[in-house]
Amino acid sequence: MSRLVSVLTDVHFWVPVAVLAAGLLLLSLMR
Amino acid sequence: MASSAQPLTSSATQSAVRAKKLQLLGILSGFTAGAWLGAAEAPTKLVSMGISPIAISLIMVIGVFLARWSLPALILGTSSVRADVRRAPHLIIWAVLAGCLWAVANTLTIFAIRDIGLSMAFPLWNSNSLLGIFWGFLFFNELRQAGWRRWTGVLGGALVMCLGATLLAIASSAQGPAGHSLRGVWAALGAGLLWGTMYIPYRKAYLTGMNPLSFVTFFTFGEVGMMSTLAIGYTGLAPLWQELLSARGVIFWLMLGGFIWVIGDLFQQYAAKYVGISRGIPLSNSNQLWGLLWGIFVFGELHGRSSSTYLQVVGGSLLMMLGVGAVAFSSAPGEEQTRWKEAAQRESERYGVAADYVEARLDGRQAADEAAHARRIWDWLLVAGASAIFVVFAAMARVPQMSLHWCPAALLTGALLLLLFLCTLALWRTTRFN
Repeated sequence: MSRLVSVLTDVHFWVPVAVLAAGLLLLSLMR
Repeated sequence: MASSAQPLTSSATQSAVRAKKLQLLGILSGFTAGAWLGAAEAPTKLVSMGISPIAISLIMVIGVFLARWSLPALILGTSSVRADVRRAPHLIIWAVLAGCLWAVANTLTIFAIRDIGLSMAFPLWNSNSLLGIFWGFLFFNELRQAGWRRWTGVLGGALVMCLGATLLAIASSAQGPAGHSLRGVWAALGAGLLWGTMYIPYRKAYLTGMNPLSFVTFFTFGEVGMMSTLAIGYTGLAPLWQELLSARGVIFWLMLGGFIWVIGDLFQQYAAKYVGISRGIPLSNSNQLWGLLWGIFVFGELHGRSSSTYLQVVGGSLLMMLGVGAVAFSSAPGEEQTRWKEAAQRESERYGVAADYVEARLDGRQAADEAAHARRIWDWLLVAGASAIFVVFAAMARVPQMSLHWCPAALLTGALLLLLFLCTLALWRTTRFN
């Protein structure tokens, strides 16, 4: 549990998540 | 005084020699990655029938999935993967996230090629190396206290490689783009952004001590899961199934491409581990050069083209080699490596991973309390199962009717196998694949 909290509070985690979300959004606009 | 200082000096010397060895190993891994990633394009060139790019990607990813489980099982055994996961279970999330990033980026490249052509798209997504340098500097202390010469070598080398990649892509573009659309530019830049960011989880894993062979086994769940979702979302389940059935004659070649790609990617992972992402990505981006060598000499792709095209190829290749050389000769000095260790210590404290384990793995060793891992019966079953699937599709495969130049193919294959042998031997001797 504490490791999950460590992941969720790690800025390094949210950068790839944000980029993935942007990529999926871009992909949906491509269709 | 002198007697106590002497062992300290000797230990510092040993440590410096070890660090130098690991740097050289990382550079060799980067070169080998470029060669194998480039060669992965060769089997896909044998496929000329009209199946959709999404289906091609999905089939390649299925080949990748099989290879990503069977190769680690063969090399170290799945008990090693389990032991790694027990020590740093949070890295599963990172690995799956990286796999998802890869799959979305790969799909975006399909749209980019369709809209603006390979010649414009390739250099745009190859900018991932510049982003990798940025993330490496910002998050993982790479290139900190490296001195202006190293900065110039890495950044200048990556920029020169991008320029060389542009020339090669223009020269190797078989036809003009379907239309210079802003949409295609966004797709290519998006792919570069996703691929450049994908290296954050890579570096995160290796700074925490995870073995690259363990990381890729979970990476592939993200890869195959996201790719399947996208393929079903785009095509629909029933039409996709029909397309896969009608493509069964070429599935083997695509899966083989995926298998070769995994070998290249494994070396790329070791490069990211031992020289960092700022140097590892540009080195493995030399795959474009190798892909072009296969295209020109084995598949005769530029046959009959103008002399200016050949000039572009020679110029682009020289620039690529110059860039690779500049990056390769900019290995991290001791001060920079101390900063890497600080970043690793930060990860170890944040995620509660034993410091001695992280330190040993960063040094390419097993920690003192780690048990030796052996292959078990299920590892062999896994390898046999994956091999059997390849054999079944090989039996279904149609041999394509196309003229190939066998002599260059044999030479390039020989070069690949030589690099594979040398790099595998170096990895085994120096790190036992840690």
